[in-house]
Amino acid sequence: MSNSVISVVSRFLEEYTSTTPNKLKVVDSYLLYILLTGALQFLYCLLVGTFPFNSFLSGFISCVGSFILAVCLRIQINPQNKGDFLSISPERAFADFLFAHTVLHLVVMNFIG
Amino acid sequence: MERSRLLGWFLLNLALAGAQALTPAHHLSLPDVARLQSLLSQQFTDLESAYHSVVGLTKLGAAVPDHDHVCQFLKSQLDPTSVDSVFFAAETSQAISGCEIPVSNETRDILLAAVSEDSTMAQIHRAVSALSSLGLPVVSQEVVGALAARINKEDNVMAITSALQTAARLSQQAELGGILEEIEDLTARLDDLGGIYLQFEEGLEATAMFVTAAYSLSDHVDMEPPLKEDQVIQLVNSIFSKKSWDSLAEAFSVASAAAALSSNRFHVPVIVSAHGPATVSHSQPTLQLLVTDVMSQPLASANVLVESAYAVASKSVILSQASFTLNDGVYELNFMSTQPASGYYQFTIAVTGDSRLVANHVELKVKVSTEVAITSMDLSVVDKDQSIGTKTTRVDYPSKAKSSFIADSHQNFAMSFQLVDVNTGVELTPHQTFVRLHNQKTGQEVVFVAEPDSKSLYKFELDTAERKSEFDSISGTYSLCLIVGDATLENPILWNVADVVLKFVDEEAPATIQSKTLYVPKPEIQHLFREPEKKPPTVVSNTFTALVLSPFLLLLILWFKLGANISSFSFSPSTILFHVGHAATLGLMYVYWTHLNMFQTLKYLAFIGGVTFLAGNRMLAQKAVKRIAAEQSSRLAKYRSLR
Repeated sequence: MSNSVISVVSRFLEEYTSTTPNKLKVVDSYLLYILLTGALQFLYCLLVGTFPFNSFLSGFISCVGSFILAVCLRIQINPQNKGDFLSISPERAFADFLFAHTVLHLVVMNFIG
Repeated sequence: MERSRLLGWFLLNLALAGAQALTPAHHLSLPDVARLQSLLSQQFTDLESAYHSVVGLTKLGAAVPDHDHVCQFLKSQLDPTSVDSVFFAAETSQAISGCEIPVSNETRDILLAAVSEDSTMAQIHRAVSALSSLGLPVVSQEVVGALAARINKEDNVMAITSALQTAARLSQQAELGGILEEIEDLTARLDDLGGIYLQFEEGLEATAMFVTAAYSLSDHVDMEPPLKEDQVIQLVNSIFSKKSWDSLAEAFSVASAAAALSSNRFHVPVIVSAHGPATVSHSQPTLQLLVTDVMSQPLASANVLVESAYAVASKSVILSQASFTLNDGVYELNFMSTQPASGYYQFTIAVTGDSRLVANHVELKVKVSTEVAITSMDLSVVDKDQSIGTKTTRVDYPSKAKSSFIADSHQNFAMSFQLVDVNTGVELTPHQTFVRLHNQKTGQEVVFVAEPDSKSLYKFELDTAERKSEFDSISGTYSLCLIVGDATLENPILWNVADVVLKFVDEEAPATIQSKTLYVPKPEIQHLFREPEKKPPTVVSNTFTALVLSPFLLLLILWFKLGANISSFSFSPSTILFHVGHAATLGLMYVYWTHLNMFQTLKYLAFIGGVTFLAGNRMLAQKAVKRIAAEQSSRLAKYRSLR
């Protein structure tokens, strides 16, 4: 049983490393970074306390928002989805990503207190 | 038989009380008449003020001083060509004796010429009045025609009142019916204020002159004016409610109305008032009433009758059909002969003897007062366990008990007494019966209510242990006072009965400080901000800061492993500008956090963002061009290799 799980996981990693373009791997590692940051903030909140609550919220919202935006970027620049986003070039997707980030962090900074 | 008659009277009383007949609330009291006279007696400066003054005084029945001087004044001021001047002089000369105003033919022609449809109503009135006062002939029917025509043109209260006054000067054979109807029309124009006042919105003078004119015309043609009894009373209220008069003309109008209301052939309002306070007692057994007209002149011919009198508290009829006797202008009735108990009585009084009387059924509240005496005042100190027989001490009013009483916490102090009517010996229960204990040292007062039992025996018992909080547990000598009071008592009583020494068990410090601090300002209320929660230890927060930052390190390692690089970074201006702009945006976010507000931030962001957008657009466009070129060349290479 455990054997099969291990084999599935190892197969998955193998497939991932071999078939995923390098660009997407960069984005994936960014996603992992954000996920971990958010998780650690949440952990702090659970262990130590919510004070100051607005700072926690803004940090956590920043992580969630960044993660979503990065996922969107990843979807748009994935060569496999090229058919769905014919009118959106990878450069356009990156520019959108930056613009959305600016707006998001304007809100986050407003909230940080 | 007797009972059914009583019941009948009782029902009649109820009906009368239910109807609550309107009675005059205002009239000219004797001081009011005196003030009105003094206002009217002031020195006159012209013919109009002479007219108001002299005629007004005559209407009040007051003497006009120095007739010769007035006559001289009239003659010197007379302008024979002016209708107004002749009117004032003629009317004033009528009011005094032995004064003839000489009239020329020219003056007579002017007066006659004024009686036409083209003159104003006031001119017609003055001309006709002057002619009639001077004894000159007038063709009444012509005047009636002129008045009828003017009434159609001048449809205001003052003009129609003038028409009524003019008509009263005309021959009784003239057709005055049309003008007489105007009284009813004017009555309909009166404003009702709360069912108590009836007046014209034009003011007091208009209302008073209307009343004067209406009664003078009605007297003249001998027809009752179409005024209901309530309306007459409401008019009386509105005319006499004003006690200070603005002008001579207003005072004159009030005097005229008072004269008209007290001596006309149809309606004479009656004012019934008590002579002094409406109180009877054994020392003053007669109820004295003044029955007057609106000018406070006694009505000599009246019969005054008590239709019924009943006690307010018990509603039982005590007196019916008793008549007052006239004694020196005052109507008197010995009410104490019916031996009423003390209290209030409602009288229904009827004034008869003249069919003209209006408001002749009057309700009057009469107080019967008496004197109280305190009997069988017993004081005792009772042991709570009743093991020792009580020793009572009798004290007689108004002396004070010789020795003081001592009561400790195991004893009750008791007091019993009776209140009786001095005159009849009946037990009384006055409204206020208090027992006051007054600490002679601290000045503290404690007041209790003494309550009567079913036999009207007052008993007051002081449980020293139970009541100690009311005395603040202060032991000491208290003077015991009995207070008896009631509105119907002529001799309210404050009697220092005895001294009582009260001993409380746990004596505490006197709480006198409390009363002193009662009036000092309260401490200021400071606003409390929400207190910040306790911060976690620095070690913990630092650790978590490091932990939160650590994924960034992971990111760098991962990127390094993946071989991410900046090899394609070109040093074209747009690229540099874009990266600088991007960095500036991040810096701005930080400054926003620390210094700026949203509006300032948006302003700067618009500038930086604009530059960054243009530069980024250019840079990414170049990259796209390169990428597409690279793709095409690689496709081409693939295609070639395939071939």
